[in-house]
Amino acid sequence: MSEEIKQESERSYCVFGVGEREFLVPKETVIQILDITKIFPIPGSPDYVVGALPVRGKIVPAIDLAKVYNIERINYSNNKLLVIDIDGEQVGFLSDITPFFVSFDADIVVEDYIDPKKLFEELKVTSQKNTSNKRE
Amino acid sequence: MITQNELIKYFLSEAEDHINTLIEGIEDLETKGYTRETLESLFRATHTLKGSASIVKLDKISLLSHKLEDLFEAILNGEIKYDNSLNRVIKNVINLISLYINEVSTNEAEKTELNQDIINLLDNILEKKEAVIEQPEVVTTFEALPIVNTVRVDIRAIDNILTLLGEILVQKNAITDKEKELEEIIEGISHSSKRLINEINAFSDRYWLVTQDKQQKITDSFFTDFSDLEFDRYDEYHIFLRKIQEITNDIAEAINSLFSYSEHLSSNLKSFSREIGYLKDNLIEMRMIPISRLLHRLSESAKDIAKDTGKKVQIEIKGSEIKVDRPIYDAIYEPLFHILRNALNHGIESPEERIRKGKSETGSITIEVKKEGKNIVINIKDDGRGINLPKVKERAIQKGLLTADKAPFVSNEELFSFIFMPGFSTEDNVDLLKGRGVGLDIVKTEISKLKGTVEVFSEIDKGTIFTIKIPQSLSISNLIIFKAYELEFAIPLSYIEEVLTIEDFPEIKRERKITHKDRNIPVKFFHELFFSSNGKSLEKGYIIVFNFSGMRKGLVVEEILGYEEATIHPLGKFLAGLTQYLGYFISGKGTLRYVVDPLRIFEEEFLFISPEVIQVSTVSAGKVLIVDDSISVRKSLQSLLESKNLKVYAAKDGLEALNLLEEKNVDLIITDLEMPVMHGYEFITRVRKDPKFNDIPIVVLTSRGTKRHEQKAIDAGADGYIIKPFDEVTISEILSKFEIIK
Repeated sequence: MSEEIKQESERSYCVFGVGEREFLVPKETVIQILDITKIFPIPGSPDYVVGALPVRGKIVPAIDLAKVYNIERINYSNNKLLVIDIDGEQVGFLSDITPFFVSFDADIVVEDYIDPKKLFEELKVTSQKNTSNKRE
Repeated sequence: MITQNELIKYFLSEAEDHINTLIEGIEDLETKGYTRETLESLFRATHTLKGSASIVKLDKISLLSHKLEDLFEAILNGEIKYDNSLNRVIKNVINLISLYINEVSTNEAEKTELNQDIINLLDNILEKKEAVIEQPEVVTTFEALPIVNTVRVDIRAIDNILTLLGEILVQKNAITDKEKELEEIIEGISHSSKRLINEINAFSDRYWLVTQDKQQKITDSFFTDFSDLEFDRYDEYHIFLRKIQEITNDIAEAINSLFSYSEHLSSNLKSFSREIGYLKDNLIEMRMIPISRLLHRLSESAKDIAKDTGKKVQIEIKGSEIKVDRPIYDAIYEPLFHILRNALNHGIESPEERIRKGKSETGSITIEVKKEGKNIVINIKDDGRGINLPKVKERAIQKGLLTADKAPFVSNEELFSFIFMPGFSTEDNVDLLKGRGVGLDIVKTEISKLKGTVEVFSEIDKGTIFTIKIPQSLSISNLIIFKAYELEFAIPLSYIEEVLTIEDFPEIKRERKITHKDRNIPVKFFHELFFSSNGKSLEKGYIIVFNFSGMRKGLVVEEILGYEEATIHPLGKFLAGLTQYLGYFISGKGTLRYVVDPLRIFEEEFLFISPEVIQVSTVSAGKVLIVDDSISVRKSLQSLLESKNLKVYAAKDGLEALNLLEEKNVDLIITDLEMPVMHGYEFITRVRKDPKFNDIPIVVLTSRGTKRHEQKAIDAGADGYIIKPFDEVTISEILSKFEIIK
């Protein structure tokens, strides 16, 4: 009984690292952690989209949060890709460390927590059609 | 042309549907009573059944359906009040229709004489506009429907199979690539084995008579069993030599069998590929439906319009047996109908006007469907007024599509293409185009969605032809693959008219257009659109000429890799904003290929280039060229380097290496010294002579360990010297020394 309560009152996250910083995403969104062997850049995409990784016939866009949050990166090597699922769409975050799982009490406010849905909407690539300057 | 039998087959599979609808409808009427909805579905079923039956000339079914249709229509219009007693009559007729369908299915004809009573009864009801009480015999059960030899499959099931097949195709391509690799390996082994045999033969010829050590005891029983007189005395050296020769011959034998094995494998693979091809074609065909029904629906509607507008027209349909993909079938009706309506409303003249012009009173419209390769071509041709080009020109100037000074030089072709521009024509110039103009841009949009094109050609008072070209299937696309900055792209073949080389058009870079076949074709450079190409000038390259509904546009690409069939996957929601891509597919080698939307590229206001130059180097850290005549050295070094995420190119002699250098950017060269064709010293000297390459570090990897060799290599321009066999540590040291791995 007591254990059940404990489980309910805890939340699990996956921790990944960008430069000196660490970010957390909900554990249940994590699909897999990949070694980055080959990334294909996508011409025309914003700079934080490093490219796409073919995974079993599908592609996963790889996002570098260092570009989003202006984080300086010292070491480029040993990149991992943390693949998460957001409403059926898979995206990957570059991680400079091998991501790992942690659990905290549910009432603890986690710093550097990423709301995957929100981030997805924010970072989603919008049409490049440059109509804005025409309207001005 | 489609045979009557085939038409009947289509009719039967369709009729089954309608009969079921009718039976369900009448059952609903009996159990739930009259609803407008039920009656409408009954009406629709009889209407279509009538039409289809008349096409295949099944007059009795057509007549009966027609009468039922009239009855339903009268009820729907409130002319006849629905009464339960009608159900019996309706049931009787439906039963009679299924009886005839049964007969058609077995005898391909309606055999039983039509019972005139039932027709009279129906006529009676229709005339008196009330349900009649007197009844022929009561029918309670329905005739069993003919069993048509078909199975209904959910289209998604076929799509799933097609997706799987797509994956199989990827695997197949991978195997085919591996096959080439196998051939190379065998080639390599065979080459080495020949050298081995030659060396050993030469060696044994020279030293056969030299006895190494007379004191040595012979231990091989084969020789010791004989006395000295029976056999020449051989020492161990001779025996060893002979054995080596034998083993070498065995190896040569084995390699020969390997050769024939690989040949067998190749031929198996070839037939395997062919079968997969057939399988794919069959599946795609299965997924498709004949366009005939759609065409007949079109011609029915067209006749109605003709009646309304008081025009006489004959509609001819050719090629109705052609099959198309379901999504195409669903989407093509509207645009076709639009063109047809335009032709009727504004193309075909009134009978009086036609007679005045000396044409026959009845106008003619031909709808012709043809298959051209993997495309479907639909021509809609009328013999009406035609398009008034001077007016089109006037309008184009008005609309700002054309400047007055350029107008005299515009080709007719280009003028025709204007009529597809959005809002090109409006109500104030009704007779400029054959329609109110609104709509032809929509026709173009709809056709574009199907990755197709539409073109028009017209002659005043002779008529107009609309030509629509669409791919037969949407699920598998035919693509041209090209390369830019180490990335691979694809573009659908359906828009492509031809491919030219830029050498033939020296003006291209300056003028950004070419003159080809008397047309001025504006061109764009792919690498400028997709990469900020910092002054990269193309020496070689290709111009892909597109035909977008009569507008020709050119796209310059650097290198064309070939042609492939593939299923395009969408990029997904996250990347959906990148509208310059239709999607992607993954090649047999696992390379991601982005499928470019050519229509998007040529939209004027489109900006592609991301703020930053794309760093293609993220694909791999560095590129190393290995030059060695030994396949085992090449392979082992390659796998070692690739494990360090490096891109590796391999060459088996100096000459091949020089050729590779011309094509690829290389960060480091590792070369052997002794090689056929061009040896290492010469290779190094040549590389160092070329100003393009003289700063690429060169490391020698050789079994020659003497200082003299090393000095000679350094003098030639080598930067490092490794003596074989190599190990990972040494290679790693070299890689970090020359900063290939950071």
